Amino acid sequence: MRWASKRPAAAYAEPIPLRPDGQAMETPWFDKRHVSGVRPGDHGWLAYTGPEERDRVIGPFVREGLETNEKVVYITDVPAEHLPGLQPRHRLDVDALVRSGRLRVISRQDACLDRGGAFEPAKMADTIGREVDAAFEQDFRAARVTTDYSWLLHEPGPAGLRRMLGCEHRVGDAVSPSTMAMAVCQIDSRACTPDQLIALRDTHEVLVEVNPEFYDGILKIVRTFDPDGLRVEGELDAARHSVFAEQLSRVRPGGSVHLDMSGLGFIDLGGLHLLAKHATRLPAEASLVLDHLSPNVKSVIETVGWHRLPGLARGRELPETEGIA
Amino acid sequence: MTLEHKAFLYGGTEDFLSATVPYLESGLEREQAVIAVARAANLSALRDVLAPHGDAILYIDAAGFYEHPVRTLRDYQTLVRESAPRTIRALAEPVWDGWDERQTLEWIRYESLINVVFADSGASALCPYDTETLPPRILNEARRTHPVLHTAGRDAASEEYVDPVAFGSGCDRGMRSHRPAGADYLPIDDSDLHMLRAFVGERAGKHGLTGQQAQNLVTAANEVAANALQHGTPPVGLWIWQDGPDLVCEIGDNGFWRPGPDPLTGFIPPESALQRGFGLWTVRLLVDLMELQAGWDGTFVRLRVQCAAPDAGF
Repeated sequence: MRWASKRPAAAYAEPIPLRPDGQAMETPWFDKRHVSGVRPGDHGWLAYTGPEERDRVIGPFVREGLETNEKVVYITDVPAEHLPGLQPRHRLDVDALVRSGRLRVISRQDACLDRGGAFEPAKMADTIGREVDAAFEQDFRAARVTTDYSWLLHEPGPAGLRRMLGCEHRVGDAVSPSTMAMAVCQIDSRACTPDQLIALRDTHEVLVEVNPEFYDGILKIVRTFDPDGLRVEGELDAARHSVFAEQLSRVRPGGSVHLDMSGLGFIDLGGLHLLAKHATRLPAEASLVLDHLSPNVKSVIETVGWHRLPGLARGRELPETEGIA
Repeated sequence: MTLEHKAFLYGGTEDFLSATVPYLESGLEREQAVIAVARAANLSALRDVLAPHGDAILYIDAAGFYEHPVRTLRDYQTLVRESAPRTIRALAEPVWDGWDERQTLEWIRYESLINVVFADSGASALCPYDTETLPPRILNEARRTHPVLHTAGRDAASEEYVDPVAFGSGCDRGMRSHRPAGADYLPIDDSDLHMLRAFVGERAGKHGLTGQQAQNLVTAANEVAANALQHGTPPVGLWIWQDGPDLVCEIGDNGFWRPGPDPLTGFIPPESALQRGFGLWTVRLLVDLMELQAGWDGTFVRLRVQCAAPDAGF
């Protein structure tokens, strides 16, 4: 079990949690990390819902590497200046980064295709191994590798998925024990079925997400993309109303806005007022949907009555089966 | 649509049924939403007599409906709202036994508040008072809180009826009791109330409040403290102490609130969270009792929660 080294030994001594029916519960064994928290040894997974989410994860992943004496390896056929984090608005001298070896943009053909143009998992693993070794010799303190696999799933039949799973296991074997390699594997979640997504996700140890919009030790606000909205964790009180309102106003989808409240343990009454006020500003058909309310927050809302919170809608309930990240 | 709010002073089951049965039946004829809230014995007598009407009447046991005056007002209001466009005709028999002095006063105030909360509801309420078992004081107060009295088959205006605002200020007069010198104190000098919530939550747990009660007290104290920081005058502080089976939490500031709080403050259910008064009304729902006192020495809000198992450790 290659991920064994990631878990504290004590974890194995703990009994496996049981469901009420006596069956062992499947505990997710991966870590969820915001992109700036990704560290060497992480074989990370990003199933993005669109370019905005992708750019807000891969952009910082690429730029933070380039800013801190790390080597960035991007396996893609997209021209460098169109890649997340490298677009002209970021004002990086991409050519200079490539010349100095800090940025390596490697074509699929060179990285992972055989002479006939077919995907070859072993070659991908070799490419990554070679690039990481080179980074070590060039005195980089770490190597960041990323690629988008979505194109592989466009191939008809299950062959693409099977070869991808094989590839991911090899990449995991190359990255996880490393003290300097970190990888983020991207996939467009719209390009595959839920089953495929779960199978692919399960070959990774780390789920990578956007950096929080706000975190002060008490309240954490994270942008979510599927559904569109925010995840709110911790405690929301008067000292944090304005930052929360600001983040809420930045979510501008066509329809309803979802708030994932599962991690919110406290909301003050002014916070409920704020939610209702925001809901009045949404388009007529849209509502502010509260998903996964914790018992504490749900209890306050039920005490005052949902009808006193016009424009707010009850969303999905806790406990929920594990979602697809 | 005005409210009809009558006290019915009766003696014995026969007398009870003689007025309540035609009262409820006339509601059915007028296609009103008809509700009978009564104590168990009266409720089952009504069910027997009114059996031919099937489930046209909603029967509710008073014991479970009259637990907390502000919540009961909220629940009646929900019934009114959910019955619209039909108006409500309710037989409303409160529970008068099992309360201490203070709780009894709040239930009397509740009867007075009915006149304000449902003033424009078009509802009709008949409140039976059992003259054979209730203490004279309760019967006297019924005459002051109900504009109409129904006795001996007739309605008559109550000459002792008192306007709810005047009645409420009478209830609040001189009610603040002593705060013990040994009460735990937390100065509130930071707009970040995270510490306050931890402070209150920890003491609530130690006192033996249930998780839900503790959380409600934390939410209530947080709201009152946020108000004090926003509208009050420093210094702002919180005291918390044990008073028999109750945990009492008081938030005070040095502000001189003039003309002072309206006696109806926080009692009238707001339409929505967007309306003024939503905060204090919710505070009243979350705790067993909220007392407001604005005096020359500052503004004080006292929150009281009774331990779920009062015999534990007292």
